[in-house]
Amino acid sequence: MTTYTEDTTEYAPELPVRLRWAEHAPEVYKAMIRLDTAARKGLDPKLYELVKIRASQINRCALCIDMHAKDALAAGESVERIVQLNAWEESRHFYTEKELAALELTEAVTVLTDGFVPDEVYAKAEKHFQEAELAQLISAIAVINAWNRFGVTCRMTPGHYQPGQHG
Amino acid sequence: MTARTTHLDAGVRSALQAVSAAAKRGFDDPGLAELVQIRASQINHCAFCLDMHLAIARKHGVSERQLDLLSAWEEAEEVFDGRERAALALTEAVTVLTEGFVPDEVYEEAARHFDGARLAHLLALITAINSWNRLMVGRRIPPGSTEW
Repeated sequence: MTTYTEDTTEYAPELPVRLRWAEHAPEVYKAMIRLDTAARKGLDPKLYELVKIRASQINRCALCIDMHAKDALAAGESVERIVQLNAWEESRHFYTEKELAALELTEAVTVLTDGFVPDEVYAKAEKHFQEAELAQLISAIAVINAWNRFGVTCRMTPGHYQPGQHG
Repeated sequence: MTARTTHLDAGVRSALQAVSAAAKRGFDDPGLAELVQIRASQINHCAFCLDMHLAIARKHGVSERQLDLLSAWEEAEEVFDGRERAALALTEAVTVLTEGFVPDEVYEEAARHFDGARLAHLLALITAINSWNRLMVGRRIPPGSTEW
């Protein structure tokens, strides 16, 4: 019989960070924090967390996935809804219609390279969000996309984040 | 075409303007900054941002030849020098994250031409224009519009 007393699995080594961008550009970092605070105003935090995880999945930002999955869990989000997020189109019954409209908009605004944000996607979002709230949602999607770009390019290391670390 | 909405939180607008301004200051190359912002806006199909940054680029004296050939810069070695090419390659990689990680050779070539501070501000500039692109395309702000 084998007993698993300690994990002796040898994982691949952790890759080094490329650039500590915030130290090189402190004014940019300060403005980004201000932007982040402004963009989340008036948005349901639970919904925003799902949006952040989904955009980070699409942009493959390991640090942001680590951070926002942990934050969502710490805030009481279910494991199921986080796990299913990568296939939300096939697991719609885990989410509200409003969340689904937000997720669809998140994908369209995140992947601009394939073409314009479709009218039907925007119209669906408009049905669930009032004008000011919708503008906030678009801003919030733009902001997580920005964090993703810093995280990916600088190869910020995932795995060390503690929920609530950044307030 | 009319805008879907011109609504934008004043705090969001001013904070993103601060990101762009700090990025431009730290990068300290106004002409190349415009080439970078135009290239990202081409990739993201942002008509409003293209219109705006093409005008600013001309004001900064960026040549018509560079503006004409920007979307094919890889095939125009005579028109873009090594530094410009490194910045444009990084712009494309950081703008299109969905096709994979920013490649080591792209990052390293950029790091060869720009020191840590310049590189961080270049990245901020690319990131900020990507945010503007999303705000303008998402809300369908028409090119030349004074309300955004």
